[in-house]
Amino acid sequence: MYNLGAERHLVLFSIGRGHDGPARVGLLKLNEHDVPTPALISPMDGGLAHFYATYNHESFAPEKPILLSLGSAFMWDFESSLDNTEDMMVLLPSFPGLSDISDSSKDAVLQFQLEIIERLSDTLDPSQLVARIPATSNPNALSDVVSKISEKGVTSAAITFDSTSGMNDYNSIFMRAHLPRSWSAFAFGRITPSVIPLLYYVGFDFFDIGYGWASASQNIRLWSYEQERITNDATSRFCGCTACNQSIQLNELDNTKANATILQHNILVYRTVMSECLHHSKRGSLRQLVESFTHASPSLNALLRTIDQGLYDYLEEFTPTSGSGTQSLIGPESYHAPSIRRFREYLKDRYIPPSHKSIILLLPCSARKPYSDSKSHRRFISTIESALGSLRSRVAETILTSPLGVIPRELERIYPAANYDIPVTGDWDDEEVSIGADALVAHLNKFDEACVVVAHVQGGYKEIVASAQERIRQSVIYTLDEQSPGSRDGLQSLRDTLTDLKEILQLENIDSRLFADTLRATADFQFGPDAGMNLIPDSAKLSGKLYRMVVVRDGGVQTCAFIASNGLLSLTIDGGRKIDSLERYWVRFAGEDIQGGSLFAIGVKEADERIRPGDEVVILNNSGKLLAVGRSEMSGLEMCEHTRGRAVTIRHKVGE
Amino acid sequence: MSSLDEIFNPLLSLIQKASFDARGKSIAKRKTRNPNLPSSKWVSDSRIGSDMGKSLAIVLNTIGCSHARSDIGGCTMCSYLLDGSNVIISSDQLQNQFDEAFRSLSDKDGPLAVKLYTSGSFLDSEEVPDEARQHILTRIADDDRIREVIIESRPEYVTESRMNELRSMLADRHIELGIGIESMNDKIRTICINKGFSTDDFIHAVDVAKAERIGVRAYVLLKPPFLTERDALTDAKRTINEVVEIGATTVSINPINIQKDTLVEFLWNRGVYRPPWLWSIVDLLLETRVSVSDDINIICDPVAAGKSRGSHNCGVCDGEIIQGIKKFSMNQDIRILSSLSCQCKETWKHVLSHEDVTLQTHRDLIIDY
Repeated sequence: MYNLGAERHLVLFSIGRGHDGPARVGLLKLNEHDVPTPALISPMDGGLAHFYATYNHESFAPEKPILLSLGSAFMWDFESSLDNTEDMMVLLPSFPGLSDISDSSKDAVLQFQLEIIERLSDTLDPSQLVARIPATSNPNALSDVVSKISEKGVTSAAITFDSTSGMNDYNSIFMRAHLPRSWSAFAFGRITPSVIPLLYYVGFDFFDIGYGWASASQNIRLWSYEQERITNDATSRFCGCTACNQSIQLNELDNTKANATILQHNILVYRTVMSECLHHSKRGSLRQLVESFTHASPSLNALLRTIDQGLYDYLEEFTPTSGSGTQSLIGPESYHAPSIRRFREYLKDRYIPPSHKSIILLLPCSARKPYSDSKSHRRFISTIESALGSLRSRVAETILTSPLGVIPRELERIYPAANYDIPVTGDWDDEEVSIGADALVAHLNKFDEACVVVAHVQGGYKEIVASAQERIRQSVIYTLDEQSPGSRDGLQSLRDTLTDLKEILQLENIDSRLFADTLRATADFQFGPDAGMNLIPDSAKLSGKLYRMVVVRDGGVQTCAFIASNGLLSLTIDGGRKIDSLERYWVRFAGEDIQGGSLFAIGVKEADERIRPGDEVVILNNSGKLLAVGRSEMSGLEMCEHTRGRAVTIRHKVGE
Repeated sequence: MSSLDEIFNPLLSLIQKASFDARGKSIAKRKTRNPNLPSSKWVSDSRIGSDMGKSLAIVLNTIGCSHARSDIGGCTMCSYLLDGSNVIISSDQLQNQFDEAFRSLSDKDGPLAVKLYTSGSFLDSEEVPDEARQHILTRIADDDRIREVIIESRPEYVTESRMNELRSMLADRHIELGIGIESMNDKIRTICINKGFSTDDFIHAVDVAKAERIGVRAYVLLKPPFLTERDALTDAKRTINEVVEIGATTVSINPINIQKDTLVEFLWNRGVYRPPWLWSIVDLLLETRVSVSDDINIICDPVAAGKSRGSHNCGVCDGEIIQGIKKFSMNQDIRILSSLSCQCKETWKHVLSHEDVTLQTHRDLIIDY
């Protein structure tokens, strides 16, 4: 059945390619059959392929459950032989409610999991076992117990949810975030359809839909966001699903038939929501789906925002640094979404203003992305050029926006700056103003005190500048009274201001730095501060078009290219050498040479912890020699932890 | 590998501490009542032998159960001793209490039964001094209407001499000792309930009583904490069959009701304990009535039934089911139980199987999101 000491196990869980936050696709190989994840798991009689049952309580034949619960610990017969369980995951016994009574009881309940694993190791393969982790567990004790459990070969955990407001569900998610990524994770309990996207997003693989049964038994029909009580005295909602369509008026059916119909409908709703999650995850828009689902209830919304604050590091680690398509940022829950907060932090930590900037021009954002393509910005640019000519490069064109905060023109094509979309009403809430002001202050502090800030903004944008003003060291000139920035009067005022400043500051001529500034800022953003000057020294030659591609040649050799469609730099091997010399974004392969177009996680010995899915990385061999450059599919920590899955998709190899 | 004892024993001290902590100052803060009056008394219709009669239940006001007052915290679900007194009640005062309660029977015809409760053990002379006990028994003995006497006690107070005294004073009346065995599963009784006595203690008490033809009314607890609903049902069924084999003469099913300042209340407040469903009681009665011989009555009088602190269903069928259980306790006829139905039975069935997988307490209301 299994081989202790050999690598072969009865059960294997492998994680597939692609990331959208911690959510993943996977494959649970159970002895004879495979279960792709994410997967719904249900009580026995739902007609679903993947169901659970309890040992000695339910008879199941010919179909077998994929998960067998051993029930609760006080009733568990320690002499059980557990025959015929090779094709199942086995859910360990524990004590309902005991973890809640004291700190010592929390630890005792966890300790019991270890004890029972020890006892069951003679009867069952540890890879079949699913440990129960109470939401109320002590986080400090958890990591110790988890490593002991891992050592015994157990790689799966079950955590319960009760979908009530308060900290309970946050604690459950906290537990999952502190379990190894390579473990499969089961979510049990009171799980409504509306919470499934969030649970999937935070890294669960299996979702218990038993709540569909509980609600059907009470004549409650579930919808994605809400519930409908079917009663005799009200017309029930229209539903075209295959279950309801057969019964036009549910409340006219007899109870048994109504319950059966409602149950089938509820199952279909779970399946629909699960499918939505998968679809969005593949498109890279799972976070958006999760955000929109949180409008199902205030407590669900609060839960997401609490997770964003408390588990930012966990979420951010698995959030890709590149993406395509529009990312709608609609509510306050978007302000601290991982990709958004990370942008603000990268900008603060990695952006270095070029020394030749003397004027910082604050501009409003535009709906059209990148901003330069919009009518308003084309007018701004044309105004700048008519006032300053080639001195345009002395102006740091800086766009104010919410919730990204501050976006230098150089970074207007990068993710998520080029992808986001927000509702525009002219009003900004206090949090937006505060985020914008903080970002602006941090940004302006990097510029010389002698620089002048020209604020060509109105409305909420102006509020941001005003709110930040006393923390800004530079002097600020407002170009507008009541005029709008894009109006003739407004633009005239801008032109006049810039013309005056050219005189006052005695700006010296400079050739266009547009390409260099853009590519360096991009390099710093992608690879950390100073990567820009390293990759694109003064001697480098840049050619191409910013709206398509700009190629960098240094010493006659191409090192990288700026790709307008994603606003990122793509490295050649020579470019890779430069990044390697900075000792960042590196992955160490455990061998001499790589065959094929991919580096798999099993071959990764070490990796820079900075690496995120979607990052440009360099691959070194075990002696430190550069082998290839490519795009990462995982985070740096993941590649080291996982033993299966693709770590890097190689673009160029040395010698090719 | 640790032995089972090594695994489970530490849990006992955790639970004892939690039970003790849950009581807090409740024992010390018991209200001072008139020590010459019982804590409560009530008269109800009762099946006495094969006749219908009346029974007087008296809760004497004493210092209360020694186990609950101990520093190992007492039983995790019981705070009946809060009906008792903080100060030692004298023998004279107890006699007055009894006399006062006894007057409720002055206008009643026989047959009658008297049930003597103390929120502890009637046979514990620290609670009920010898003199008071003898006074009470004498007054009962002098009353021909009284055919049945039920006395509650922990097994440690069931001694040969006490049994001897009871039999000699009460002549050939039917006497039963109500003993809270709760569960025949040692782990459950010792750890989940913290009962503080072994099955041997119980068996010994049954034997000692039997020697004087004194019966034992075994109290079986439905749904100790730290079990799922189905666990509790399974355990109660096994317990009932076993206590009957041991020699219990009546089975009294006691569904949990949430009492103040108990560990069970603590768990209930946190949403990790729910009192048993009425359906569980019905299922238990139906099944054990068939498996247990007819000469042993199986009774159940759920406290706070239909309320959130007591055994309840959906709210719609509770009244009818509670009536059914009461009637069954009187006449032992299963037909009244097997005819009960409600849509919520489907929910109950789901709860039975789902809780065994999730180990999560099912809540009653369907949530908003």
